[in-house]
Amino acid sequence: MSRISRRHMLGLLGAGIALPALVKAQDSSPIRIGCMLPLSGNGSIEGNQVFKGVKFAVAEVNAAGGVLGRKIELAVEDDESNTSKGVLAVRKLIEQEHVPLIIGTYASAVVVASMKVAKELKVPMLTGGSTGAIATDANTPGDPWFFRFFSDSTGQGYDTANAIINKFHAKRVAILHDTTGYGTDLAKQTTEVVQGAGGEIVANESYNIGDQDFSTILTRIRTLKPDVVYIGGWAADGATIVRQAASVGLRTQFVGSGSMLSDDFIKLAGPASENFAVATAYEASTPNKVGRAFGERFRKEYGYDPGMLNALGYYSAAIGIEALRRVGKPDGAAIQQMLANGMKDFPIGLGPEGTTADFNDKGSVDYPYFIAIIKNGKRVLDH
Amino acid sequence: MKKNLSLVILVLLLAAVPFLVQGSYIVSLLLLMLVYVILTTGLNLVTGFCGQFSFAQGAFFGIGAYTAGIMSRDLHTGFWVHLPAGMIITGLCGLLLGIPALRLKGHFLAIVTIAFQTIVYLGLVQWTSFTGGQNGLPVEPVGDVSLFGAHLFTIDGLRANYWLILTATVVLVVIAERLVKSRLGREWVAVRDDEVLASAIGLNATRAKLTAFVASAAFAGAAGVLMAHYMGNIAPDDYTIWISCTIVAMMIIGGKGSFYGPILGVALLTLLPEMLGDWARYRMLFFGVLLVLAIALMPEGIAGRVRKLRATKEAQA
Amino acid sequence: MDLLLQYLANGIVNGSNYVLVAVGLTLVFGILGVVNFAHGEFYMLGAYTGLILVINYGLPIWAALAGVLVVAVILGLGAEGLLNKMLKERDATSSIIASFGLAVVLQNSALIGFGPSPMLMQTKYSTIGVEMGPVYLPLQQLLIPVAMVALISVLYLVLRYTWTGRSLRAMAQHAVVARMCGVRVQRVAVITFIVSALLAGIAGFLMSSVYMVYPIIGNMIVLKAFTVVILGGMGNVAGAAAAGLLLGIVESLTSAYLGNGLRDIVGFVIVIAVLLLRPQGLFGRTFQRS
Repeated sequence: MSRISRRHMLGLLGAGIALPALVKAQDSSPIRIGCMLPLSGNGSIEGNQVFKGVKFAVAEVNAAGGVLGRKIELAVEDDESNTSKGVLAVRKLIEQEHVPLIIGTYASAVVVASMKVAKELKVPMLTGGSTGAIATDANTPGDPWFFRFFSDSTGQGYDTANAIINKFHAKRVAILHDTTGYGTDLAKQTTEVVQGAGGEIVANESYNIGDQDFSTILTRIRTLKPDVVYIGGWAADGATIVRQAASVGLRTQFVGSGSMLSDDFIKLAGPASENFAVATAYEASTPNKVGRAFGERFRKEYGYDPGMLNALGYYSAAIGIEALRRVGKPDGAAIQQMLANGMKDFPIGLGPEGTTADFNDKGSVDYPYFIAIIKNGKRVLDH
Repeated sequence: MKKNLSLVILVLLLAAVPFLVQGSYIVSLLLLMLVYVILTTGLNLVTGFCGQFSFAQGAFFGIGAYTAGIMSRDLHTGFWVHLPAGMIITGLCGLLLGIPALRLKGHFLAIVTIAFQTIVYLGLVQWTSFTGGQNGLPVEPVGDVSLFGAHLFTIDGLRANYWLILTATVVLVVIAERLVKSRLGREWVAVRDDEVLASAIGLNATRAKLTAFVASAAFAGAAGVLMAHYMGNIAPDDYTIWISCTIVAMMIIGGKGSFYGPILGVALLTLLPEMLGDWARYRMLFFGVLLVLAIALMPEGIAGRVRKLRATKEAQA
Repeated sequence: MDLLLQYLANGIVNGSNYVLVAVGLTLVFGILGVVNFAHGEFYMLGAYTGLILVINYGLPIWAALAGVLVVAVILGLGAEGLLNKMLKERDATSSIIASFGLAVVLQNSALIGFGPSPMLMQTKYSTIGVEMGPVYLPLQQLLIPVAMVALISVLYLVLRYTWTGRSLRAMAQHAVVARMCGVRVQRVAVITFIVSALLAGIAGFLMSSVYMVYPIIGNMIVLKAFTVVILGGMGNVAGAAAAGLLLGIVESLTSAYLGNGLRDIVGFVIVIAVLLLRPQGLFGRTFQRS
């Protein structure tokens, strides 16, 4: 027994030592960039959508000849929204795949732990959908190693809550949010703003992602007669809620978040999606010219309009690759400097017209979100 | 004697790895394996040796980690307080879970442990004011180690954490071995093999089962605290039922009831995803298939099969 | 009062779903002593089969239902072969672990095959609703308790009055003696598994037009089903029916009056309490296990 365990272990160690050398030997022309997302487990629906956008960006770059004369390849790791896997995956990407930048990840808690490692090993990270303020808050001001080109969930919640109060003139608001960091943060922010403006939060209920039955909670909310029902979460649950709200007779203004504008959402929610409003940074009919152009290219390739998550993935990759191009070599530390200071002129398709990758001290780009409303099964931006 | 010598050599080799290997990936992989060794050895105590089925090891792992996180946030204590506190608190939770074990067998017990695991996970996620919800909690690294005011060294960063966890693993595995070989350990085995008979000859089955649960939980608690201080941020998705299943699978595939078998299982199942490369998409699928094959064809695990082969060989000699 | 009725109605719909899934499980658990965690995947695959046949192949509902039944039979046969025939002689927990492995395999195959995005079966009946006084239920939701009552009644009659039914009950009491009385134990085992898969598959199919379908829906439902099985008493079909409805109603009321977040927890707390205080369930008889 002991003989076998010793031999076994030595063999494994030997293989482990040999592996990096083997990998190095295969390191030829393409530049590999890292991509770490939840592709299975919690958050995998969102992770896969972001991934689609990332792949599209890489495909476009390669079709145009690549970067620095070399093609771009993705080294992909599935972190399953699991912190210990994320931390391990980052090391693997940097040391085994020698990536100079990592696109990732989606779960903010995983980002916080992974960032530490990425910073230690001098490789910058670009968001894979993570919106939590804790991620950019963990950056040292002035020296960010995690970059996010849209406002954190605090900002999103703020914009949405303002819309609720000013645009929809709501005094009584009911909140339904999922238990992820995203949903919880949005709910908290919305509560603060609405109450600060003198409004009342008549209900604040949570649900687990994938919960199927909301009839009871929606019936109860109906009795409270809210002016607005705010849903903090992502498209799949939002669609379920909106659909069931219609069937229990809860008719009021619904305001959503995240990807609750996507074609998927409209299809799943059906006619109940009429008049649904979402605060979003990206929508295919955005006034942002760059964003519209991206939407058209995406639609030509895939046959449907990109959603916010696809756009997120796309621009994360696009910004990273552009920074790589400007630096001229796959050097993580140099790319980080370029991202932090040198991308002010690079236009991105999110946000209002003229938004660029102008990262602030904490690695974030702040701009107000739009409100988009669904009319006749189509999204209409509210200016 | 020979066995002990080869184990010592193994430990020394493991300790030397940071100097032998370039980069940090291998070290961090080994670190993860060591944590799982602690978890699986703990589970083996209650399930392999005492025969009480537990799918809750992931929950205890989480309770240990969150003890460190919450104490760190509210009491501003450090690792050296968290480690014993984590083990004690988790051990008490293990006691809590052991109580249903006194009355239930086999599948019923398994279901209770699954229910416990699910409740703990849902609690971690939903009780945001206490646990920070999905955003998790930050945990400081272990930091300075001083003896009587004299600073010895600082534990921060991968290598230092690796050696700390290696030391902890060795200590805990030795403790587990002592437990298994002690009278208590033999009581566990007696209860596993035939509880009625064990009671008939005067063993206190209640005490055996409860101590087994406490011990296995305490091990998981220690693993939780160590991991929390290494990762720097803990979140509920690290302590799901799938983690519990993975630990169970490691134990089964390695060989439950054997002492070192589960360690083999840990090595195999940790390295498997790394070896898959481009097939990583199918990782969970392989895992499921492996589990079914193991249970159907080799229920005694790798270690058990080896032992059988050895016994047959000896018998033939 | 109106509201309470509505909550109860919602609870009955969910509860009926639980009943369909749990009854199959209680048969397998009670008669064969096998714990089948892959049972939730029967539900999930029943839902997907129906969805794919209707949406991708444009089949009418009846044809899709037939497809679901075929898939369920295959799954039942396969599960019996693995969990019962192969693992019968081992200790109780082998079937738990093997069924877990099976569940992982089925779930991930579905994930790879169908993708993680949720789907919903939208038919021309989707928007029709039924009003019964103060209570409003969409037609597709109302179908579920109706189907449950129909199927469970049939099952109950079969168990009570047919030879197969009596064989099942005999096996639940004592397999060896049953065999001595001429019961073909292996055949009965296969039938039991198939019936359990059929019930779960039909439940999934019915629910695919009410709730979203995606690969992991089996997880929660199997845990709820086990809760119902334990509450109702192992092997007790009528008990499972009562317990399933009870759980559905309790969850609905918890969500309405205590808070939505507690809804899932309440079931688990109940099952732990029942196992501690009354392990034979609310309706079961005390059993001896040596």
